[in-house]
Amino acid sequence: MSTVKSKKLQVGTDASASNNFTIYQPATPDGTLRIGVGNADSPTEVGRFNSNGYVATNAPAFGAWHDTTQTLTTSSFTKLLFTTEEFDTNSNFASSRFTPTVEGYYQINAAMGIVPMNGTIFISIYKNGSEFKRGSFTSDAATAGSRHTQVSSIVYANGSTDYFEIYGYQGSGSNATTRNDQRWTYVNGVLAKAV
Amino acid sequence: MNLYEKIKKLKPELTDADFAPEGTIMLQNDSDGKGDYIREWNHPTVTQPTNAELNGVS
Repeated sequence: MSTVKSKKLQVGTDASASNNFTIYQPATPDGTLRIGVGNADSPTEVGRFNSNGYVATNAPAFGAWHDTTQTLTTSSFTKLLFTTEEFDTNSNFASSRFTPTVEGYYQINAAMGIVPMNGTIFISIYKNGSEFKRGSFTSDAATAGSRHTQVSSIVYANGSTDYFEIYGYQGSGSNATTRNDQRWTYVNGVLAKAV
Repeated sequence: MNLYEKIKKLKPELTDADFAPEGTIMLQNDSDGKGDYIREWNHPTVTQPTNAELNGVS
């Protein structure tokens, strides 16, 4: 029985480097095993194993919250602005829009708080500019109070042109104001399964 | 006066139910500085007001 020791192992010998993979140890060993697309001389990392298992290094995850109040006109679907990012691992969140660059299925969550009002509120996930998934619906015209609504869904994104935004709706009959607080009004998402 | 109020003033026969989430009229605001606009108008009898009519409401 023989033992093969190497820092890099190329899998595939296709003329096109993008059809080959390389399994390698980084130049400065850090306890990870890297997997890259391309030949052994210049692989592009797409994932790694560490002591906890596999980690997809380009898997998008983001979180942001609403740090400035918005006035929502009654009976109008209004895009919510999330101007403070908590994290954005793949730089796919900008201008309150999530445009993932990896094709797959994403878990997206969002919530909106409204200062005391009467009537209906809810939020929706918009996909490519159209309402796609509607969240929890609160309707109580008789009692004024703080309102909170949330939406959560798994959605497909093609990794190039598909994008997602969050819109809020309130039907109090007059203007209403959002809560600018990271506990109340936020959005986040993560790649659940790549395609 | 916002768009909802202008439409209600021009078309008093409309009810709040028409503007409800499952109503016949959908207003939208993309938070791009352009304000509210009519995204969908599916009312069976009341016609959609023109921009000139809306701009004339004060």
